[in-house]
Formats: sequence, structure tokens, C-alpha cells
Amino acid sequence: MVHSIKQQETGLDYRAKKFVMWLFVVSSTIMFGGWTSYYIVFSASKGKGHGLVLPELFIYSTAVLVLSSISLFLASRALKNQQFNAQKTFLCLTMVLGIVFGYLQVDAWSTMVKTGAVLMNNNAAISLIYIVSGFHILHIFAGICLVFNALMGAYKELPMEKRTYRMEIASIFWHFIDILWIYLYVFLLLNS
Amino acid sequence: MSTISLHDTHNHDSHDDHGHHKETFLSKYVFSMDHKMIAKQFLITGIIMAVIAMGLSILFRIQLAWPDKSFPILETFLGEWAEGGRIKPDFYLALVTIHGTIMVFFVLTAGLSGTFSNLLIPLQIGARDMASPFLNMLSYWFFFSACVIMMSSFFIQTGPASAGWTIYPPLSALPTAIKGSGLGMTLWLISMVLFVASSLMGGINYVSTVLNMRTKGMDLWKMPLTIWAFFLTAILGILSFPVLVAGVVLLVFDRSFGTSFYLSDIVMGTQVLPNEGGSPILWQHLFWFLGHPEVYIVIMPALGISSEVISVNSRKPIFGYHAMIYSLIGITILSFIVWGHHMFVTGMNPLLGGVFMITTLIIAVPSAVKTFNYLATLWRGNIKFTPAMLFAIGLVSFFISGGLTGLFLGNASLDINLHDTYFVVAHFHLVMGSAAIFGMLAGVYHWYPKMFGRMMSNKLGYLHFWLTFICAYLVFFPLHFLGLDGVPRRYYAFTEFEFMQKWLTVNVFVTWAAIIGGLAQVAFLWNFFYSIFKGKKAPQNPWGANTLEWTAPVEHIHGNWPGEIPTVYRWPYDYSKPGAEQDFIPQTIPFSETMSSNMPHDFEGNAEAERIQKEWEDQRDADEKTKLD
Ligand code: HEM
Ligand SMILES: [Cu+2]
Repeated sequence: MVHSIKQQETGLDYRAKKFVMWLFVVSSTIMFGGWTSYYIVFSASKGKGHGLVLPELFIYSTAVLVLSSISLFLASRALKNQQFNAQKTFLCLTMVLGIVFGYLQVDAWSTMVKTGAVLMNNNAAISLIYIVSGFHILHIFAGICLVFNALMGAYKELPMEKRTYRMEIASIFWHFIDILWIYLYVFLLLNS
Repeated sequence: MSTISLHDTHNHDSHDDHGHHKETFLSKYVFSMDHKMIAKQFLITGIIMAVIAMGLSILFRIQLAWPDKSFPILETFLGEWAEGGRIKPDFYLALVTIHGTIMVFFVLTAGLSGTFSNLLIPLQIGARDMASPFLNMLSYWFFFSACVIMMSSFFIQTGPASAGWTIYPPLSALPTAIKGSGLGMTLWLISMVLFVASSLMGGINYVSTVLNMRTKGMDLWKMPLTIWAFFLTAILGILSFPVLVAGVVLLVFDRSFGTSFYLSDIVMGTQVLPNEGGSPILWQHLFWFLGHPEVYIVIMPALGISSEVISVNSRKPIFGYHAMIYSLIGITILSFIVWGHHMFVTGMNPLLGGVFMITTLIIAVPSAVKTFNYLATLWRGNIKFTPAMLFAIGLVSFFISGGLTGLFLGNASLDINLHDTYFVVAHFHLVMGSAAIFGMLAGVYHWYPKMFGRMMSNKLGYLHFWLTFICAYLVFFPLHFLGLDGVPRRYYAFTEFEFMQKWLTVNVFVTWAAIIGGLAQVAFLWNFFYSIFKGKKAPQNPWGANTLEWTAPVEHIHGNWPGEIPTVYRWPYDYSKPGAEQDFIPQTIPFSETMSSNMPHDFEGNAEAERIQKEWEDQRDADEKTKLD
């Protein structure tokens, strides 16, 4: 009896905590929504956007990020099928791809700087590219920490319930930042 | 038995973040993850911040009343900010700014939601703690750091931020514009980012807890109105605070990295600044997109608290339970589309101004619905005038008198005259300052027994209420007339302008009322802190209330209830139900134990229950008949 109450309540506990992650996703979306609304109102009132051809590196980084999402999905599936080694491999791969993504983003910034489109700019739309991609990289960093947390769960051979929980938290967040970047990228492409 | 179940509840709680541990001083009082302790931390920090902010307001009220007089004592305390015993203009602006910031954010947002959402959400919905006790603890410590950083700006050479609580650029964006825009503004921004992080962690936790952790039987439509209010407040926060962060980040970049998000065409002295292309109006949009929901973040918890307090102490069901909820939902949604009413004079397209005007006037409707429902609940109630009840009634009074002036301001054509005058100051100090503080105080008096296991003194409570109530009106009501006469807010010395000089006598009056009102708070502070240690021990259910928190033991335990969490069978407002033995029926009493008072609509169309009830009633009627025969 006691046991069943306990199980029931910890189950609830995990559900509530996963929901916490969802709500974080919502508020983060809104923060980026704030910036893109700034962009829309700014460019509407000034009659100009950033006016740049975005660096090609953004295409590569986007591809890398999508791959990392796929890899994380495979890791989840591996965990479900109890293939723990595959899970670890895919988690590592996700982290590596995340780091590569970060590197490519910084590289893209340096090409932008070389063409003269610097952060300190009298066109706020260009400055905003740095802001949104920069804050997105901060999210990537947090995402890598969560993936690492899931990886540690796998190595420490925590109870299945906990491992799944960490895996799910990492997945929600990682897929979110993947989609978030695609949104930002498409937004910047469309509103040049 | 009790040790076993205690141990047991503790286990329920252990999870990722903390395992089974012994409670030490640090883990119990400082880095506590227990929602009841965190609530007290928020409350006491909030009270301290409120006292500080009130002190600041007395300082600038002194300046307003006696602009030409010197008070050497001020120099003793404030040093060069009050050279010669007179507050300097720079410092006056800093005082107003920090007063507003602390009151709006630290007292009425964190102090109010942080205290009562934390205390009541788990206890009233029947949960052992929050969804994530760890985040909850972080939320408090972020708030605490925000307070410390904000206060630290009083100890730097250039003084605190001075651009008003809305920190409009370009004043706030140019570190050299005034003294307060230097380091003080940087500290303000850091503090606010920490504050927003704290609010988000708190709010996210509240929403997740309400949605996922209700006890058996507690469906959404059986939740007390307090919980509805905290829940919707938290949603409002989650949806609006991130926008403030977005705006603040851009401001930080303008200040420190030379971007031009909000800056354009600025000449400082003889120097032309290189920034071009930005627009300060965009800050106002981002700010008020948060700022307007923020004022409802402040008032909705207070409204929720009053609903509960008024219903309990009128010994009547709350009038229009569903209407109350729908109006809260209405306010939540509408509050996102009215922000433009703060910006009627920014050169906004008149058509857009018209749209904002209409949405603003519409939001008055759910506000009015709530007011009428409070009055209808009070109407012919069996009213118990506890201090909490008085403060709740005070809230209704202030909400009416301040809400009415909102209608004036909501009309663009009137607002063009009234904007940035003392009329606005009067409006929001009544509707927000006074009403929300009264709601908070009602909550403190009502749930004090739950928080500290002791009772506060009623006599001091009455003294506190009457002095505060009268002084609040005496302070804020006259300000309407200054505003109607066109006296602008945030002006340093009324002696400098001929048309303002005639208001000096009123200012003296208002300042005396403010000082007396401030002193009245000593009655509260004494009552509060003294009763923690020496108050009468609280009984299990001092007010005869129905909600779940009064079924939990007076002695706080980790996990709230020993053994199982109680199940809920009914809504929380069965007061003075005809046919019932007592004038209240707690939510944990099943209908099968109250056959004599059940009503057809209690069963919500459950045919089986209706049949049983009918059988019982037929039986009773038959018995009575045989008795008569
Ligand atoms: C009946 C509904 C209300 C209406 C129609 C209304 C309308 C307005 C308008 C139009 C303004 C802008 C005045 C100006 O700056 O020229 C204003 C200012 C303000 N209102 Fe209200 N209001 C209402 C209720 C409230 C409530 C419930 C609160 C808070 C609990 C509140 C807090 C404020 C604050 C803080 C300001 C001033 C902000 C500032 O400029 O510093 N209002 N209100
Ligand atoms: Cu507003």
C-alpha cells in the first residue's frame, strides 16, 4: 500500500517536473518573440531590415543542429529498447554536434564582422542578429549540460525511471532549441 | 505510527535534487526546500523591503512638503546626498525610482505572490510540496540577491538608478546622462534580471504544481479562488516577464556595447553621439507589454486572497464563483492587449490609440464584475470583522475608487491632459499601492496562524487597519486634484513654478498623513514579530474555514499531512448551508455525511448520488410523518 502511494506520487512528481521544462520553453519562446517583435516594428518603421546576405555558415550550422536532434532522438529510442551502449554513443554524438554548432555560429559571426556587419551598428536590425544568435548559443550551452546530465544518468546506471526522466528533459529542451534556431534563421532570411 | 508516516512522507519527496538527509540549521532555515519555510522567507524579506521603500517615500515627501527648509538630521544620515540638510535633486529622483521599483516588484510581486503562492498552493490543493522544491529554493535566493544588489546601489558614489521605475531610455541608456544612469543603473538592471529569473522559476513551479499535483477530488472547479488567482497570475508572469528581459538585454547592449537599439540623434552637451537609427519608443512597447500585465500580477493575488477572506468572514458562499474565475481569466487575456494606454502621448497613430482605448475600457468590465461580487458576498452576510476581513473590505474600497480613475485615464482624449500628472500617481497608488497592499495584509492576518502556529493580536490589528485606511485616503485622494490642475509628477520643488505653489499647503497635509500612516505600520511590525514568539497558540481552524490548509497539523511537518493527503469532495464555499449542523462544511467532508444539507446541484448530474439522496429524503419524510401520526 505504502509502496503504491509512493510510486504514484513520484510518478506525479516527474510529470510535474517535465511540465516545468515545458513552461520554461514557453517563456524562452516569448523572450525571443520579444526580440523578433522588436525587429518587426523596427524594420516596419524604418523601412529597412538587416539588408545582409547571411553567411553560408548558418546553413551548415543549421544542418548540424538538425543532425544533433536526430541523434538525440535515436538516443531516446535506444533507451526505450534498453540498448544502453547505443544510447550513450548517441548522447555523446549529440553533444559533439552541439559543440560543432556553437563553433560554426561563432565562425559565422567572424565572417559577418569581416564584411563590416558588426554588433556596434547604426542599423539595430544587424545588432539584433548577434543578440538572437548569441542568446541562442547560451541555450545550446544549457542544452549540452542537460544532455550531459542524461549521459551521467546512463553511466551511473540510475533506476530506469530516473534515466528516462533525464532523457526526456534533455529531449524536450534540445528539440526546442533546434526548432527555435530554425525559426530564427528563417525569420532572418525572410526579413532581410 | 506518526514517526513511520513522517519518514514515509519524506521519502515521497526525495528525488533527483535531494536525497534523504537530516535537517540542519542551514537546510531548515536558510537553504530550505520546504514551501512553507520559503513562503516565510519571502514574506519577511518582502516586509523588510516594504519598510525600506516606505522610508524612502517619507524622505521625498519631506522634500515635497518643505522644499526650502533644512533638516540637518538628513545630512547626518545621507551625507552629501542631503548637503545642508536638503535632499538634492539627483537624490530625489533616485528615491522615487527605487521606491517605485521596490514596491512594484519586490514587495507586491515577490513579496505577495512569493509568500502566498508558496504557502497556499500546496496546502490548498493538497500536495506535499511544489513540483520542484529545488527551483523554489533557487527562486527565493535569486530574489534575495536581487534585493541585496538593488540596495547596494545606495552605497556607491553615484547613487542608485534615477530614471523612474520604468527606466525610459535615452535617460537610462546613456551612462553619463545623469549620475543615476551610471553604475546605479547597471546595478538596477542586474538586479532586475535576477528578479525576473526568480519570478519565472517561481511562476513556472506554481503553474506546474496546480496542474499536476492536486489531490484526489480536487478538480479545477473545486479549487479555492485564491488558487485560481495565483495560478493565473503565474501564467501572466510567464508570458510577460520574458519580454522585459528581452528589452533589458537590448538596453544593456546600448549602455555597454555601443549598439543603437533605443538611441538616435543625441547631443550631449556639445558632443554629438554616434548612435543612430534606434527608437526609445520601442523600449516603451517592450516595457509596457510587461508593465501592464505586471499591474495585474500585483492585484490578482490580492483579489484572490480577498475572495477567500471575505467569503469566510461573511459566513457566506462567495457570490458568483464561476463569474469570479471567468473574470480573472478575462483580465489575464485582456491585460496583454491594453499596454498602449500608457503610450497615448508618444505620437501613436490615433486609430491605434482608439483600439487601445477600447480594449482598456473593456478590461474594466471583468474588474467591475469582481467588485460587484464582493459586495454581493458581503450583502446580508453574518460578518465577522476580523482584522483580515477589514483589510479585505479595504481592498474593495480602494479597488473601486482607484479603478474609477482608470476609466478617466483610459480615454485617450482625457489622458492627453492627465498623462504624467499627479492624477496618474493618485490612480495607481489607490488601485495598486493601497488595494494590493491591503490584500497582502489581509492575507498576512488571515494565514498568520497557518504560517507561525500562533495568533496575532486583534486590537493592534484594528489600530493598524483604521490608521492605515484613513491615512491612505488622506495621502492619495488629494493628489487627484493636483493632477487635474496639471501638476506633473516627479518634479523636485513646487516652489520653482508659480502655478504649483498653491499646492504646497496640500503637500504639507499629505506628507503629515504619510508620516502618520508610516508610524501606523509600527503597530503591524510589533504585532507581527512579537506574535511569532509570544502570540497565543493557534487552534487547528481559527476562522472556521473550509479549505484544505486548515486540515493540516498546526505544527509544520515536511510533506504537510501525516499519512495520506486528504481527499476533496466539494467546493470550498459551503458556508451557512441550510440544513447543515455547523455554518461551514470543509472540503474533506463527503456528501454522504451531510445528507440533511445536500442540494440537487451538489451532485452535478450524478444520477446514482441523486437517487441515494432522494431515497434518504423520502425516508426522512416518512419518518417525520410517522412521528406526527
Ligand atoms: C479599471 C481598470 C483600469 C484602467 C482602465 C486603467 C487605466 C490606466 C491608464 C490609462 C493608465 C495610464 C495613465 C498615464 O500614464 O497617462 C494607467 C496607469 C497605471 N495604472 Fe491603471 N488602470 C486600471 C486598473 C489598474 C490596476 C488594477 C492597477 C494595478 C493594480 C493599475 C496600475 C497602474 C499603474 C501602476 C499605472 C502607472 C504606471 C506609470 O506610469 O508609472 N491600474 N492606468
Ligand atoms: Cu496599464
